[in-house]
Amino acid sequence: MQASSIEGVAQARPKKNLLRLLLLPLVILAGMGLSVEAGLLGPLGVQVGHLWATLSIFGVGTAILYVLLLFSGPQKGPALTDLPRWQLIGGFLGPMYVVVLTLATPHIGIAMTMIAILSGQVGKSVLIDHFGWFGTARKRVNVERWIALALIVAALVLIARG
Amino acid sequence: MNLILLLVLVIAAGAVLSVQAAINGRLGQTVGVLRSSLLTFSVGALTTALLIFFFEPAQAVSLLDVPKWQLTGALFGVVYMIVMVGAVPVVGTAVATVAVIVGQLGMGMLIDNFGWLGNPAIELSGSRIVAMALLALALVFMYRSNTRTD
Repeated sequence: MQASSIEGVAQARPKKNLLRLLLLPLVILAGMGLSVEAGLLGPLGVQVGHLWATLSIFGVGTAILYVLLLFSGPQKGPALTDLPRWQLIGGFLGPMYVVVLTLATPHIGIAMTMIAILSGQVGKSVLIDHFGWFGTARKRVNVERWIALALIVAALVLIARG
Repeated sequence: MNLILLLVLVIAAGAVLSVQAAINGRLGQTVGVLRSSLLTFSVGALTTALLIFFFEPAQAVSLLDVPKWQLTGALFGVVYMIVMVGAVPVVGTAVATVAVIVGQLGMGMLIDNFGWLGNPAIELSGSRIVAMALLALALVFMYRSNTRTD
């Protein structure tokens, strides 16, 4: 269900070695997997209903992660119940995203859906950075980011017009 | 459904995802990626189940009736998460983000073009290729803006 988070583009750590080159195709493959996930969701939603398709993602994901967590031993850090409440609301936002994904892909295609998601991410992250919402560090939004946003919107318009 | 309305909805979903990433990024730092992901997925599953109970109209076909490969979507999400946890410290966030988007859009175009996985086929046109070029340029600008503000 995750998508690339473009707001994290900062802190690049230069560590040039062979491992880096080997990992890169793996990361690209992981990105391709996200599109496959979206590609599976659309037709599934048409067949069984959008909410059921969404449940398949979260249900299977929960089961796998729970098993992974059980076998990965004790976890570091505070218990979830000790955290500020608002940090737990991320879980409510995920389903909104997945439902929209199942709704949209049969009508506008996967590439266009991904670009639209990207423009929403960049647009919002510009706002989050600018105002420092949700406890993130406040950053000045410079001209380059606005240009990037404009380019993504232009790409969206191009694809929408076919 | 109206195309423009749908687009606005998807852009809003991207914004929502961005908020979620910001919240979960912090959560992951304090409690670990596995626990923060499990929290996201289990709360997501519970919320969706509640919505189904009260709002979903009866469907002729259930999840148990469709071919099993159609249910494997979540695996890709989990594999993505594991790859990112392993790769980001080595290749850096910037390179990883660009690589993911390249993979995402490349694969998206392929699925659209050939109509894989039961999707309607949308042919790869000239304007789609130009759109890709614009996106590549956008990524360059994103990258430059982030290295400058550091």
